[in-house]
Amino acid sequence: MKKFLRRKSTIALVMALPLIVVITSLVIYPAFFSIYLATLNKSMEHFVGLGNFSFLFKRETFWMVVKQSIIFAVSAVLFKALIGFFVAHCVHNVPTRGQRKWRGMLLVPWVIPPAMSTLAWLWLFDPSYSAFNWLLERIGVGPVPWLGDPYWARFAVILVNVWVGAPFFMIMYLAALKSVPEQLYEAAAIDGANWWQKMWYVTLPMMRNIIAITALFSLIVTFANFDIVRVLTAGGPVDQTHVFATYAFNLGIQGNDIPLGACVSLFMLPILAVAAIFILRDIGRRGNEA
Amino acid sequence: MTSGTFDRRRFLAAAAAVSAAPYVRTSRAAGSLNVGFWDHWVPGANDGLTKLCNEWAAKEKVDLKIDFITSQGQKLLLTITSESQAKSGHDVLSLPTWYAAAQAKNLEPVDDIVQTLIAQYGSAGAGVEYLGKQDGHWLGVPATAGSQMKGPCARIDLFRQHAGIELTKMYPPGAPPDKVLADKWTWDAFLVAAQKCHKAGFPFGIGMGQTADSVDSAGAIFAAHGAHLVDAKGNITVNSDAVRQTLEYCKKLVQFLPPDVFAWDDASNNKWLISGKGALIMNPPSAWAVAKRDNPKVAEQLWTLPSPKGPQGRYQPNIPFYWGIWKFSKNKAAAKSLLTYLSQRSAVEQLVQASGGYDMPAFAGLRDFKIWSEVGPPKGTLSHYPPTGDQIVHMSGAPAPVPIATQMYSQATLTKMVAKFTQGGEPMDKVIAWANSELEGFMRV
Amino acid sequence: MAAQATLDRVAHAHHGSVRRDRRRALIWSYVFLLIFVIFFLTPPIYMFITSLKTSAEISTGSMPWWVSDPTLSNYVELLTSPIYLTFFRNSVMVALLVVVVTMLVSILAAFSLARMKFWGSATLATGVFLTYLIPDTLLFIPLFKIFAYLNELTGIEFINRWWILVIVYPTLTIPFCTWIMIGYFSSIPKELDEAALIDGAGYLQLLTKIFIPVALPGIIAATIFAFTVSWAQFLYPLAFTTSTDQLVLPVGIVTTLIKGDVFNWGQIMTGALLGAAPPLIIYAFLMDYYIAGLTAGATKG
Repeated sequence: MKKFLRRKSTIALVMALPLIVVITSLVIYPAFFSIYLATLNKSMEHFVGLGNFSFLFKRETFWMVVKQSIIFAVSAVLFKALIGFFVAHCVHNVPTRGQRKWRGMLLVPWVIPPAMSTLAWLWLFDPSYSAFNWLLERIGVGPVPWLGDPYWARFAVILVNVWVGAPFFMIMYLAALKSVPEQLYEAAAIDGANWWQKMWYVTLPMMRNIIAITALFSLIVTFANFDIVRVLTAGGPVDQTHVFATYAFNLGIQGNDIPLGACVSLFMLPILAVAAIFILRDIGRRGNEA
Repeated sequence: MTSGTFDRRRFLAAAAAVSAAPYVRTSRAAGSLNVGFWDHWVPGANDGLTKLCNEWAAKEKVDLKIDFITSQGQKLLLTITSESQAKSGHDVLSLPTWYAAAQAKNLEPVDDIVQTLIAQYGSAGAGVEYLGKQDGHWLGVPATAGSQMKGPCARIDLFRQHAGIELTKMYPPGAPPDKVLADKWTWDAFLVAAQKCHKAGFPFGIGMGQTADSVDSAGAIFAAHGAHLVDAKGNITVNSDAVRQTLEYCKKLVQFLPPDVFAWDDASNNKWLISGKGALIMNPPSAWAVAKRDNPKVAEQLWTLPSPKGPQGRYQPNIPFYWGIWKFSKNKAAAKSLLTYLSQRSAVEQLVQASGGYDMPAFAGLRDFKIWSEVGPPKGTLSHYPPTGDQIVHMSGAPAPVPIATQMYSQATLTKMVAKFTQGGEPMDKVIAWANSELEGFMRV
Repeated sequence: MAAQATLDRVAHAHHGSVRRDRRRALIWSYVFLLIFVIFFLTPPIYMFITSLKTSAEISTGSMPWWVSDPTLSNYVELLTSPIYLTFFRNSVMVALLVVVVTMLVSILAAFSLARMKFWGSATLATGVFLTYLIPDTLLFIPLFKIFAYLNELTGIEFINRWWILVIVYPTLTIPFCTWIMIGYFSSIPKELDEAALIDGAGYLQLLTKIFIPVALPGIIAATIFAFTVSWAQFLYPLAFTTSTDQLVLPVGIVTTLIKGDVFNWGQIMTGALLGAAPPLIIYAFLMDYYIAGLTAGATKG
């Protein structure tokens, strides 16, 4: 018995046990429980099978939420990646000594808790007191209904999300840029490559994995985003900025229909699973490369 | 037993109960109590309530904890639904509008308290009864704090200058309304005034968002035109001429409102009026109270008046509040004692005073305070706040059955319909079809 | 000779043009960096400016980008407000406890998974990573129901208490921290292990005497990550806590400071700024560890 306890694999298992317990009880079990909940009726007294799902499928608002979540996630990640990439290059160009302070300033949006910074944006976009509109009026352009018009509201939500997330991309890309060997650039320069060709043939291929992993990570996190939409627009106007998380909260907790809320949340799973598969594949590939 | 004897016995019993009530209940109160009240929009009103509660707690030796829960961001609604799901939380909560009736099966019946109050102070009105009673039991004590009328609050100077309406003549301070002028104050006249003020650069600020203020004003407009989405029996009546006409009316009105009203929350219209940008909002006197503090020049031009009249009558948005005791409360005796204490005449008067006249007591016999005719400046600004005359107090969503009306209210179906038809540019039939499917969804159990 | 001179001149010109290109790239880089810094820092700076305003000044709608009548009254009010201080205290308690729990679980598990192969360890490692991808927005509803049920069953208050967050937050922090630590632990050369084992050290001593000190930067980075995530959490506390004295800062500020007092934005911005202060301060002092933690997940194993 003592030998069993002393065995390496047992000790290993014991050490990993807290992790296993936490994950199983607070992640895996609730995830399955969520599936069970989604099959109950509103007062959670009867089993209705796929009734909630078929109900949601018939609702126009639901499909709007699906569309909005996807557009929101894809466009936000795209802009974050582009801005992150561009700014990373700018920082990389600056002499190393000065890079630290630029990096420091640029990462601030990521450090501030999103719920707090979104409050600042909320006030900046306020219908009557928007500081942005104040500036616009000074230059003669009319006030913009940042949160009142559905298209502007969607823009606002994406903007805040990009503001919060772009620094993360910048930091990751910067680290990756630094790891590209200088000799490759010099070799390309000797071959007469201009900056665009250097980018296409040297930088991007070397960074391909980081770009993919960061983008996929961010896609998952952005897709499941709650804080920004909830604080900025609460899903409005007329449900046109709702994403899965906020819609689930609205129906489930606010609307007192927990099974329906669970149902909405579950719809995120297929898309997340696809993203997860891609990430795993890429990490595996990078592991091989390294 | 003749009916005469029976009545006399009942009368004697009631009289005995009335005189003994405040004292009988308190003798069993003790322990601790956790209450969650609505966070008042009038600065300083919470202090009035706190003072009364602490007085009671000291007398009854109860360990009292008070939370003030805002309705902004739907925090109050969230608290109500969370606590009902979790079966734990506060002992007493403020329950506005439909939420007392909606939580009927989780609330402790308070017939004893309310019947006594009705005997003391008269009836609470059909609307308050409709929302506070389910299956013949009162589920919440009609609360003074928070109960409000949400009619127009307008700028005297702007109306005089641009809309050509003399508000103080139409609804004179301390006197009944001018019949001729008041009869002309219809929703059509409202539209004309909205247009004129919009042209002058001071648009009306009627929210069309998803929060209570917007839903309440939309409710009054729809009801005044006879447009009900669901009737009293629970049939969906959205596909009616009245609804279509009302949507057309709203389309005309929306042109004269600021473009972002569709994202307004409960604070937006207050800000609109206090900043001086708008000529009229539909709001209780909280905006005026804050303007007194932050922008007195605007405050002294504000006048509260009844809603315009529609083809079906003069519907005035009324938001009753209730104080409810959860069934899972561990100290119901103390809770009942507190609520009784807060509903006595002296307490009610203090609450109305602390709120600057915002709070409108539910019971008919408690509406005779002088405050409404005396506060200012301008003096008399609230003299037409208490509902009188031809006003029909209305809860947005009525007469629909409670479960459906609650969802119509919290999901803002009315204003979403208006938004879709106006800002969204969707054709009328599509909007009605959408509303129909929403309402069918609300019928789910 | 002439050819050589020409070559030299060409090389010189080439060098000159390269230097000119580099200088142009540098200037443009600085320009764009400045633009983006303005973009990124405008909201915090605006928060600061607004926090110095009284509600009277805000209501007049005067110049929003500058304070004409600065006051520290908002700061004073909040820092002496028992409610706000309760939020702060709750946030600190939750964050610290979660950090301790997370680091204990993660370090043990990472050590186990990185070094000691046992049956299923590879699946577990992948599984850990996968759970990071199950968002809190999926789990909050079933967790709410589970806790409500436990509340009814046991009578222990599982809803509306801040310490529930200590149970729930680790699900957000443990997976990523384990991942980071696995990366750091894997990069420790195996010779160190073997040397220690030969000297007769047990596994626990191996962990505490060798791995932790060597991987300290990783541990610091993971700690910072766990703290920041706990501090900033919004959804779980919004769903699980409603009484004012149980709220943590993000939810407290958003749900109680934004209230009927419509021009309270000076105080709201102050609250938000003070609430963002701890992560910002940690960031200011430990920036390199912070960045290392972020990049660790991707660049290390």
